[in-house]
Amino acid sequence: MIAPKFIPVVVKQLWRHRVRSVLTLSGVAIAMFLFIAVQTLQEGVSRSTQAAAGDTTLVVYRANRFCPAASRLPQFYVDRIEKIPGVASAVPVKIVVNNCRASLDVVTFRGVPREDLAGPQGWANKWQLIAGSVAEWEKRSDSALVGETLAARRGFQVGQSFDASGITVTVAGIVRSSEAQDQNVAYVHLDFLQQAAGKGGGLGSVTQFTVRVDDPAKMEAVATAIDDEFRTEADPTMTSPEKAFVAQAGADIVEIVKFTQWLGWGCLAAVLTLVANAIVLSVQDRIKEHAVLQTLGFRSGLIARLIVSEGMLIGLLGGAIGTGIALAVVHFGNFSLSQEGLSIGVRASWSVLAWGLIISAGVGIVAGLVPAWRAGRREIASCFRAV
Amino acid sequence: MTTNNTHSRTLSPAPALIQCRRLTKTYKKGDNTITPLQELDLDVPAGDFLALMGPSGSGKTTLLNLIAGIDRPSGGNLIIGGTDIATLSRSKLADWRSTHVGYVFQLYNLVPVLTAYENVELPLLLHSMSARERHQKVSTALELVGIADRHDHYPRQLSGGQEQRVAIARAIVTDPTIIVGDEPTGDLDQESAQAIMNLMTRLCEDLGKTLIIVTHDAKSAAYAKRTLHLEKGRLVEAADLAARRESTVPQPV
Repeated sequence: MIAPKFIPVVVKQLWRHRVRSVLTLSGVAIAMFLFIAVQTLQEGVSRSTQAAAGDTTLVVYRANRFCPAASRLPQFYVDRIEKIPGVASAVPVKIVVNNCRASLDVVTFRGVPREDLAGPQGWANKWQLIAGSVAEWEKRSDSALVGETLAARRGFQVGQSFDASGITVTVAGIVRSSEAQDQNVAYVHLDFLQQAAGKGGGLGSVTQFTVRVDDPAKMEAVATAIDDEFRTEADPTMTSPEKAFVAQAGADIVEIVKFTQWLGWGCLAAVLTLVANAIVLSVQDRIKEHAVLQTLGFRSGLIARLIVSEGMLIGLLGGAIGTGIALAVVHFGNFSLSQEGLSIGVRASWSVLAWGLIISAGVGIVAGLVPAWRAGRREIASCFRAV
Repeated sequence: MTTNNTHSRTLSPAPALIQCRRLTKTYKKGDNTITPLQELDLDVPAGDFLALMGPSGSGKTTLLNLIAGIDRPSGGNLIIGGTDIATLSRSKLADWRSTHVGYVFQLYNLVPVLTAYENVELPLLLHSMSARERHQKVSTALELVGIADRHDHYPRQLSGGQEQRVAIARAIVTDPTIIVGDEPTGDLDQESAQAIMNLMTRLCEDLGKTLIIVTHDAKSAAYAKRTLHLEKGRLVEAADLAARRESTVPQPV
């Protein structure tokens, strides 16, 4: 946009009105902090609810129930589900949460049969164990493999016992997974959880079945077949792809997060206004100075580009500060939006950081365009006459 | 024929560096049309030192601005170094200014956030040259105006005379064809004004520049090779001026 030799001139102009620049930067940083926070929520929702071509996971829930406490299915359904053509595996899962409402700090227990978690084809194989051991989890009936996000948020260590919803478990290991659902739960033994949470159904009762199909193209057909299998039972089922299930069960959160995109746009509008105001004031102060620059031979276009660069620099610096703080808060805060035992991960990502910087610089440029154009069009002699 | 032509070329004076022909400037101020310059004819040879004098509103600053290319004539021709600058586009005129004109303002007009060195360097940023070349040129210009020891000072840390020296260094650093000054001593005390005029005269002679200044001060004008008077947008002949002065002198009763 401008040659590097002009950058010191731009920086010095911003430094000239330090207080104004710092206030504008602070405003931009705060607005970009909010914008990025909203973006990480949006990205978390998208990641958790938008189906991908390779998805093979179905969730079988009690029909017309959306809360883990209300969804009770007989555990023996698992044998019938596994016989349905296209089903690769089915795992009965018991879910207990300490808080059914939407919250940023929910402890979710998932009870899973020992062999489905720790066996040769078990879920633990796709996780990265970052502390403790799966063998330890197998040995103790009250042990838990805790997702990294939950462990970081609650400060859990291997060997430590904790209590939630009246259930006391001991941490056998801490695991890392690419799935938000795994990152924010404590995996325990199914029979232990069934007994510990007796009023939720007791032994033989589970919350859901997690079903893997052998071909992504068969997802819909398999889901229909499962629901048809149990349509006439006392406990009919509702089967849907995992991400659609998350979107449906966490509909309140999804709606709220979708609404927050308007807040995000509002933040960008605030950045635009703030930077434009700062640039307009700065340009008004320097009408004569710009006339002097033109007298020295600076072209109108160059003066306009210098002014636009000031806007871009304010936007970029403020954006970098706001984005950096937002991503640090998200990263170290280990937040996870949970509702009905389902988690929507709020994670800092490089793409959000890159977008934050690009957008803030872009908004800075747009904010500088009009004052820059006006400054570039002024007649030199009239500027000297006017001042 | 051939001999005559050759003879004619030999005898003809070199064309003036600045040629104003029926130069006119008008602009609107509310409902009124102001004509600060009216069909003015003027030739300025290269290396001349010209002082423009006249009462306020006589058109001298307008003429200076037109010659400096920061204003455009409403009529007539303004040919400088063979270029009719009135026909140049906005961008071309800016390029022309950066190469051919050094401007010294009454109130110095240095950029307050830049040091003396950076202020002098500003016009050089428009030319393609290395940082080292820029450094050499800026250092030379600051040496010439005797302010090299203040190169890292900001304008607020300099006296008026020192600021004007920096402004002169900024005006000469690109080695322009013409240096123009709009009341360059107007904001200075007598001693500083004298020093600045001595400096400008010396630079004009040593560097072979054409210098045009606008001034109200006869002492400053006395440094020029010639002085022109303007009144109501027209040049006033010296004889007319003398007669007018005589007529305004009170007669003894």
